[in-house]
Amino acid sequence: MMKEEWRLHQSLMGPMGSSLFPAIIFVFTAFLAVAAPRVLSHIPTATILLMLHAASALYGLFVGNFGSIGEHVMTRRLGQVSMIMQMPQTYPVSFRRMMAVFYAKDSVFYLLYSYVPLTLGLAVAAPGAGVSLGGVAMLGLTTFLSFMVGMGLSFALSAVSVRSRPLWLLLNAGVAASAALVYPLGLLSPEQLIPPLAYWASRDAWTLVASSVASLALASAGVALMKERYEARESRGGFSFLDSEGLFGFTGGLRTLVAKEWAEVRRAGALAPVVMSFAGHLLAIYGMSWIFEAGVGVSLGFNVVFYSGFVGFMGVMTYAFLTNLEHNEYLNVQPVSVDMVVKAKLVLYFAVTGGVSLAYVVGIGLLKGQLSLVPLGLLLAAATSVYVVGVTSYLTGLWTNTMFFDARVILKFCAAVVPPMIVAEIAALLTPVWPTQATQVVVTVSLLLLLASAPLLRRMERRWAAASFSFVNVGG
Amino acid sequence: MQAIEAVKVSKSFGSVRVLDDVNLSVGQGEFFGLFGPNGAGKTTLLRVLTGQLAPDSGSATTAGVPLTDPIRLKQRVGIVPEAETPPTFLTAQETLELTCRLRGLDDIGERVERWMAFFDLGEKRDVLCRDLSKGQRQKVMLAAAFIHEPELLLLDEPFINLDPIYQRRLREYLASVVSGGRTVFMCSHLLEIAERLCDSVAVINRGRIVEQGRLDEMGGRLEDIFLRAVEAG
Repeated sequence: MMKEEWRLHQSLMGPMGSSLFPAIIFVFTAFLAVAAPRVLSHIPTATILLMLHAASALYGLFVGNFGSIGEHVMTRRLGQVSMIMQMPQTYPVSFRRMMAVFYAKDSVFYLLYSYVPLTLGLAVAAPGAGVSLGGVAMLGLTTFLSFMVGMGLSFALSAVSVRSRPLWLLLNAGVAASAALVYPLGLLSPEQLIPPLAYWASRDAWTLVASSVASLALASAGVALMKERYEARESRGGFSFLDSEGLFGFTGGLRTLVAKEWAEVRRAGALAPVVMSFAGHLLAIYGMSWIFEAGVGVSLGFNVVFYSGFVGFMGVMTYAFLTNLEHNEYLNVQPVSVDMVVKAKLVLYFAVTGGVSLAYVVGIGLLKGQLSLVPLGLLLAAATSVYVVGVTSYLTGLWTNTMFFDARVILKFCAAVVPPMIVAEIAALLTPVWPTQATQVVVTVSLLLLLASAPLLRRMERRWAAASFSFVNVGG
Repeated sequence: MQAIEAVKVSKSFGSVRVLDDVNLSVGQGEFFGLFGPNGAGKTTLLRVLTGQLAPDSGSATTAGVPLTDPIRLKQRVGIVPEAETPPTFLTAQETLELTCRLRGLDDIGERVERWMAFFDLGEKRDVLCRDLSKGQRQKVMLAAAFIHEPELLLLDEPFINLDPIYQRRLREYLASVVSGGRTVFMCSHLLEIAERLCDSVAVINRGRIVEQGRLDEMGGRLEDIFLRAVEAG
């Protein structure tokens, strides 16, 4: 499976692109680690540790949703791509065993692709910061264990969703309630929710053992809950996708494709998850800043405009989610090009995220008593949404999740997105100090991003017009 | 004007040369069969000729449209791909409706009903394609390729997964297409069916056309022609 994963990546981005990804993580981490002692000197170590482990656990939560993979394999949502995962259909191998191997493979993949280069990057800065290499190695281990706990939990929950939707909802509510017990109720410590973090308070090796056991137990529960067979069924459409065309009449020639996308999102049961996931990511930003503020004990002064800047950035994951629902191979034989489907997905993206973005900005404006800044926040949110998702669609087309493992793509994305984001966010933070100048900067950056989006869309059209809808092209 | 004209078309995947200077000519109103062993390049050639893949070198026109204009090309022809992959979350009926919409056709209801009836898909009209059997999916793919009555049909193993009743129905339909002056280009391993249908054939082996001509002038049964060409190539 490791070889298969490697070849799949190579087939899309070539050996150079695949190999560069861990190198990029190493360089970024090393750069940040070298800068950290100066930038983060006033922040308690415990807070930095909390942020690193919470981010790792969230990363694991985001990537561990493997539960429905069996159904994907059985219903050929992978298109013509045949994978080892499909072996249980015809070979005497149980799907649970295959899933356990798949899980182990992904764990090793994330370890090698993310956490080893991240730890090596931290090691570069260790001597200068007076941190031992042993301490860095331990930090790498505990953050990876946090990732594994998050991934295990996500996997177990997604496996439950295959068995029982109501139970899945109940358990999700339980997880949300546990988070609420940490904040705002303060009845649990963060260490109780993220066990590997406890090591840094107690230095007790048993906490590492307990964390490993917890992550293994969650993964095992996920494997045990996998179905061996996916019985034949006949799902009905329930509504005509052509009826939805009217909803998207404003998109002109794209309305049929947008209606198709809309029907797919609804019938895949993805509408609620996609909206909740987008809202969840935005709320996670708010939550992380709270952890930071709670840890340091001082207000960072993040205002509604600052939070608005993240709307577009978080939309990348939502766009990626939308590109993952259907293989679209059928369209290879129709007079349709990839860029047309990308545009249809962009329309759908704005349709499903627009309301959440609006509610998020207005909600934070209300919570922080900054309603006067809401219009500026909405402008920045709209501009970053259009621009960042535009950059993503240009760089990754219909294969966002996979293409983002190409280091060249990540570098281009960062080069296009990070500088304007930094300028806008710094200006947002300076709004209370220099209201006129800061507002002018935010407005200017927003307008520039909107202006840059039009040529970006044209370049996206040119880039993907001749592409195939097939995930991987093979000869024969 | 020829229905298909390919000149020195080559295509490689990595270091593997799948098509090697392919020259091919298919006349209007012909039933043309392309045959070859597994991995010979049949599907790749069909995908190149239908604008699904760009060739590395060489040129071709399909239905009078150059490969450099794949959208117009696909508008003019009907294609049945190697694998039956209709949209996962659309129903059989919706897949045909989608096809009509994308092709800008009129009389959508009438066309859809005609082809649903032709393949007896009426009972399954509201079932999502992911839950159809392989044969039913293949019927949806065939109906979608035929629904706009194109001047040229390019079919990759069209009989696969069909039971004998529908194989016969499809055979009769394709024969009527050609007798009506339209053109069929077909890749298949079912030589007995192909022998009954094809006017002209070509055999491809290791990416090169090793035999090409009118079937009635080539002498012998198609199976013999095939084996002779492959063994000689």
